[in-house]
Amino acid sequence: MRIRAVFAAGLLSLLLAETAAAQPSNLSASGLVSEPEGAQIVTDPARIPRQFREAPMLAERVRAGTLPPVEQRVPAEPLVLQPLREIGRYGGTWRGAFNGPGDGENGNRINASDMMMSWDMVGARQVPSVARAWEVSADGRRTTLHLRRGMRWSDGSPFTADDFVFWFEDLYQNRAIVRAPMPELQVDGKPGRVIKLDETTVAFEFDAPNFLVVEQLGAQAGLGGQSYRQSNGLTYGGYAPSAYLRQFLPKYSSEEEVNRRARAAGYENWVQYLHFIKDWQLNPALPTLGPWRTVSPINTPNWVMERNPYYWMVDTEGNQLPYIDRVSLSLAENMEVINLRAISGAFDYQARHLQLANLPVLLENRDRGNYRIDINLATYGADLALHLNTSYTADPEIGKWLSNVDFRRALSLGIDRDQLNETFWLGLGTPGSVVVAESSPENPGAEWRRRWATLDVARANQMLDSIGLSRKDSAGFRLRTDNGQRLVLEVLAVQALQPYPRQLEMIAQQLRRIGIFLDVKETERTLAYTRVQNNQHHIFPWSNSGSEKLFLVPAYVLAVDPINSANGPAYAEWFASNGARGRRPEDPMILRAQELYRSAASLPEEQRNAAAQEIWRIAVDQVWSIGVVGVSPGSFGVQLTSNRLVNVPRRSCIANHCRTPNSAYPQQWFFR
Amino acid sequence: MLAYCLRRLALALVTIWSISVLTFIIIQLPPGDFADAYIAQLSSSGSTVSLDEVASLREMYGLGQPMHVQYFKWLSRMVVGDFGYSMEWRRPVVDVIGDRLWLTLAISVAALIVTWGLALPIGIYSAVRQYSAGDYLFTLVGFIGLAVPNFLLALILMYLGYTMFGLSVGGLFSPEFEQAPWSWAKFLDLLTHMILPTIVLATAGTAYLIRIMRANLLDELRMPYVVTARAKGLPEWRVIMKYPVRVALNPFASSVGYIFPHIVSGSIIISLVLALPTVGPLLLRALVAQDMFLAGTIVLLLGVLTVIGTFVSDLLLMWIDPRIRFQIH
Repeated sequence: MRIRAVFAAGLLSLLLAETAAAQPSNLSASGLVSEPEGAQIVTDPARIPRQFREAPMLAERVRAGTLPPVEQRVPAEPLVLQPLREIGRYGGTWRGAFNGPGDGENGNRINASDMMMSWDMVGARQVPSVARAWEVSADGRRTTLHLRRGMRWSDGSPFTADDFVFWFEDLYQNRAIVRAPMPELQVDGKPGRVIKLDETTVAFEFDAPNFLVVEQLGAQAGLGGQSYRQSNGLTYGGYAPSAYLRQFLPKYSSEEEVNRRARAAGYENWVQYLHFIKDWQLNPALPTLGPWRTVSPINTPNWVMERNPYYWMVDTEGNQLPYIDRVSLSLAENMEVINLRAISGAFDYQARHLQLANLPVLLENRDRGNYRIDINLATYGADLALHLNTSYTADPEIGKWLSNVDFRRALSLGIDRDQLNETFWLGLGTPGSVVVAESSPENPGAEWRRRWATLDVARANQMLDSIGLSRKDSAGFRLRTDNGQRLVLEVLAVQALQPYPRQLEMIAQQLRRIGIFLDVKETERTLAYTRVQNNQHHIFPWSNSGSEKLFLVPAYVLAVDPINSANGPAYAEWFASNGARGRRPEDPMILRAQELYRSAASLPEEQRNAAAQEIWRIAVDQVWSIGVVGVSPGSFGVQLTSNRLVNVPRRSCIANHCRTPNSAYPQQWFFR
Repeated sequence: MLAYCLRRLALALVTIWSISVLTFIIIQLPPGDFADAYIAQLSSSGSTVSLDEVASLREMYGLGQPMHVQYFKWLSRMVVGDFGYSMEWRRPVVDVIGDRLWLTLAISVAALIVTWGLALPIGIYSAVRQYSAGDYLFTLVGFIGLAVPNFLLALILMYLGYTMFGLSVGGLFSPEFEQAPWSWAKFLDLLTHMILPTIVLATAGTAYLIRIMRANLLDELRMPYVVTARAKGLPEWRVIMKYPVRVALNPFASSVGYIFPHIVSGSIIISLVLALPTVGPLLLRALVAQDMFLAGTIVLLLGVLTVIGTFVSDLLLMWIDPRIRFQIH
């Protein structure tokens, strides 16, 4: 969570900016952007090590007799990783920052190798992680996962297909714990099943083709693993430690017994207690699959994780990973403190929470802080997108214009993206529409970056005149057609992700030239979200991070998610509830896009990419959301690495589904 | 006298009860609830939840119940010492506040001692030596102290502390001591980290108190009884300390009512800027996240301390100032 004294933060930025002189004028010439690189997974049987070695801290426990020897802890089929540069050395503590109990994603992502699959260094192809191999049946109805023989949870209990079935039957289908089925486990409203084929084989089965679930098993989705989806009161994830969790469920003892235990621990009932027990960020006793497990929980000033003695990855010489003993994240509730600590060399690796605006200062202090800075470019289209509420009705006149495509296009043509890019992205972003980066197979073509996304004041004015907004007041602002008052568009600007309020003030100035009055309302985050969900906003600025995999995170492009689709929440509710609630869109283009999205699960990858391209063409042409600047180092893009830390890729995939820094394999980082 | 105290005590209880009602209403006033705040927060960290997941959360925390039901649940638990469960920290409220209470007290009390230790002598000096070079100097410094916003001072000192003395930035412990059990080294580490916040917190308060002390004392020094005492040949320091200073202390005693809650909350902005693990930022965060029970308990605690502080300051005033004591009889 980002709480900060706004004044203080701004002032510090000023204070820091004063010392900043060095600014990279050309991104590629700066030497900060490298080619993607990363550790490689070894599948050649000849290179799979037969003998294993372990960290000194574990060897000590083996000698003391409190831990079985490493050969019994590593699975018979471990994941073998070829480190990026060299075989590492054991030891050390990775120091980083987190900003409070709400920042669980910080650790989830470090431990995200507990997903079934991961992604390669550019985020294009799925690679093995927990699952050794997988296959999708030709008809798309069954996705089979092959697990690793002899793999164990962090407490030493076996990890098998039973842990999937336990999660499915005892947690997910228990309506006291999970109220409703998740979208990922349904096709056409019909629920899917999780089936054990043998000890190490498990299948996800559906009544209709589902080619999408294989991607959802390795991404930021409902089936995205234990650390991501079984923390923070959530109970999705796909599997769970059955041997440990059984004792907390009424099915395996009795309702009274589990409730008694819960009350003894200070909880109202067993459900509340279970939400604590199965949360890896809170409960150090919980068995996990990630490289590190919590020893000091997230609700303390220092979130500390220690190596998982049963971790299932080894390097090419048979050293059990991870190399680093501990991860220690220190609490700083103020973002500026995190950035100031960063330049003082207090972190060994940090990308989360580092702000692009502080890049010059970070660069200047490289030698003193003994770290290097690398720039990663995101592949999603917009750090700042103005989501126009096409389903707005509270004020019919405003609603009429927001649902008028020429009005939306004119607004987009009135924005000077270059000025914003220079001011807020240090010129490192890409001005343009909301469309995903050209490198993605879902991108429909280079011309869509500029479509309706260049500055053309004359054309914008002419378009607005021709749709009937030709009358203006003495200050030059266009008038409403119903009562002759000034046409005022409200923007709910939240202080998060980007300095949205300041960015919007600049856009408001720019739109004066086309006679549009933009009223920037700086709004508290929760209030803004409540208004968006209730269909009460005109315009909501947010990024579309995640849309680089359109069918994994469609919410910021299409009106399909009632919580996050700010460009048409009432239509999204209609779509998500299958017409039970919300409102049916009149606009055939919205209906067409929703239909394309709905069909995606039944399409194999190639056809699915074609559908994505079609959706992007419609979305860019219809301007439901105005893209401003994106494909930038705006989030996770500024990466600080201590000079003592080896094997950290200079550039890796920072897309949402890659779960940064998981795609950089922190397991094989080590201290020289 | 006893009847007076009892009456005050009874009134205090009624006040505390109304504070609890008001607290609860105020916390419920902003639109949305913890679940909404949770959605917003997840989105900011690049993650999402489904509506059904949110509905499960709401049910788990009983957020859907009517307000009076929630209030009585809260009140009946509180009476037996259970202050509820912090939804954001996912721990009992008592533990969350307890962690930070002692550090907050340490900083606040240190700041208070510095404030009073500086303000009283300087205030007396400035009044007695009015318009001397020293008075002008302290007045100048005092006005600067009053005029400079605390958070700015905190930022500048933090920056200077880091660039010139290599002090670690923010927090109350160096990372290596954060988890360590208490030891002499950890205590020393805490002390070095406390210098900055103490200076910042004490500056504004000191400047303010110097001005009050000086003004009050000046009024008293012109009173005929002071002239008489001097004429009778009392030593100068005794003339000043015996009566005028005691009378001038009245405002100090009456400010106790506000100092109590302040000691517990610390300064929110300064704590945020300096990343101090005190109760202030906890309250702010609880309010933003709509973490009902945590915010409620802190606000209630502050209210109760104000009531107690006022009560104590009344007693103090009676003790210092005979005029008040005699009015009651």
